[in-house]
Amino acid sequence: MIAAFRTELVKQVLRLRTFVVLAIVVLIPVIMTIANKANPPGGGERGGGPGEGLRRLTQETGLIMPAFALRLMSVFLLVIVVALFAGDAVAGDASWGNLRYLLVRPVKRARVIGSKLAVSVLLSWVAIVLVVVVALAAGVIAFGSSGLNVGFGFSQSRGELLGHLGLATVYVAWALTGVLAFSFMVSTMTDSPAGAISAGVGLYFLSQILDSITALGSIRYGLPTHYFDSWVDMFTRNHVGSDLARGALLQLGYILLFCGIAAWWFRRKDILS
Amino acid sequence: MSERVVEIVGITKRFGGQVLAVDDLSFTVERGQICGLLGPNGAGKTTSLRILLGLVRADAGEARLFGQRVRPGSPLLGRVGALIEQAAFVPQLSGLRNLRLWWEAGGARFADADVDGALAVAGLGDAIHRKVKTYSQGMRQRLGLARVLLGRPEVLVLDEPTNGLDPQEMREIRLLLHRLADAGATILFSSHVLAEVEQVCTHAVVMDRGRLIASGAVAELIGAAGDVYIEVDDVTAARRVLEQLPAVIGVESESPGLAVTLRDGRRSDVVAALVGAGVGVETITARRRLEDAFVGLVAESR
Repeated sequence: MIAAFRTELVKQVLRLRTFVVLAIVVLIPVIMTIANKANPPGGGERGGGPGEGLRRLTQETGLIMPAFALRLMSVFLLVIVVALFAGDAVAGDASWGNLRYLLVRPVKRARVIGSKLAVSVLLSWVAIVLVVVVALAAGVIAFGSSGLNVGFGFSQSRGELLGHLGLATVYVAWALTGVLAFSFMVSTMTDSPAGAISAGVGLYFLSQILDSITALGSIRYGLPTHYFDSWVDMFTRNHVGSDLARGALLQLGYILLFCGIAAWWFRRKDILS
Repeated sequence: MSERVVEIVGITKRFGGQVLAVDDLSFTVERGQICGLLGPNGAGKTTSLRILLGLVRADAGEARLFGQRVRPGSPLLGRVGALIEQAAFVPQLSGLRNLRLWWEAGGARFADADVDGALAVAGLGDAIHRKVKTYSQGMRQRLGLARVLLGRPEVLVLDEPTNGLDPQEMREIRLLLHRLADAGATILFSSHVLAEVEQVCTHAVVMDRGRLIASGAVAELIGAAGDVYIEVDDVTAARRVLEQLPAVIGVESESPGLAVTLRDGRRSDVVAALVGAGVGVETITARRRLEDAFVGLVAESR
């Protein structure tokens, strides 16, 4: 398993695509920080996109910047990143025709799929951690590293903010692993990496759309993205809610389901590519 | 007794429950044989090879290597070098990096592989350090053959191994296969180039529409219809002798020798009769080519 994991990791890390993706996730928090510093939100502004509340708080301390970056990037970019790493994992090798050679090396199918899943999870989590680390560094440089105190009795110490940041990073990584698992499952079923990547992104947006239909009632609580943003309350309300636990458990169910189907499917699959 | 290295036993495979790709196929390849797998497009050759390599599951029957049933990822495959359809690699990595990663994925050290031998076969020179996406089809195919040889395999399973190669490269591959067979390797390979099979193979298996229609030594398959070409030291005397043999249907001049059509006699009987009559026999070969035999066998099966 270690040999298969190591060779898969080397193979993925040496690809230009991986560098480009990681460069993008490093660059965007820097751009966000510079833009936020140059154009601070005006007092009279209302509304705004996702994370607008967090954006306002970034003016108080740079420790909020990673939360703002996570919020903004987990809406779209990080979804694509994890879908890319997972969707390309098996289908990419299949589309090159390389998968059959790996299997006749021989490497057992369970090892092939296990190593590919592990590497796609690792690269995805590295991307998410990079967003946080780079945004933290840029945020501290631009806005300092003090605690948060905006009056009305709402304050968070530096320690609390860093603790919340650590928890938010883990939660977002776990939440996106559900999307990753779905892309990975589709990746075992097709020889088209683009199809598998699109499937992961499609699942995310479909779930978001369904979640916005309040008439669906309690069904929404079972949607994979329903608790995606529950972590934001830690920063805007200083509140670690039970929704985090519900969200984590819901993702665990989806991850086990999608990975289980992927393993079952791949074990029985005729390799024709 | 010769060792059965490859055994295909009653294999049947349907895709999607509808398309019958392989139908109750059985054949064996013994140690040291170079066996050609022949058949028209869609005959089921590639599917059969994939079943042998554990890539495709048979609906019935089984494939065996060294007497043991092959399952997906079976350690037995470590003794096999395989090239299935086109050689495929990670295009963004160099040829050498591809070889190394593929080898190390099996948990072995690259230093233990026959890298020098494999690179000699690839003959890519400095291009081995270039990204595979810059390679021509022929370069990829040669790199694929190099990968086959990394593990010093006892059995080679090659699906159209000379695809994309120029005539000189094809000749080198034929010589390589002969060398490997002389060194004790067993080779099963499919090809559409019948002249190539005739030159390389000791044995052949002919398939059509998923079924076995003939198998055996190439010389037997070619000679089945009984046409032979003979060169002798006295053509006139030889003609007189041959025309009196009951096993001979016809004798025609085909300078500098004679074309002889046999009813069901053996070539050895013809040679014995000529030598007994004092005629020196220089050459006796099958007059038909494998292509003739192949076309005839496929036509008969339909």
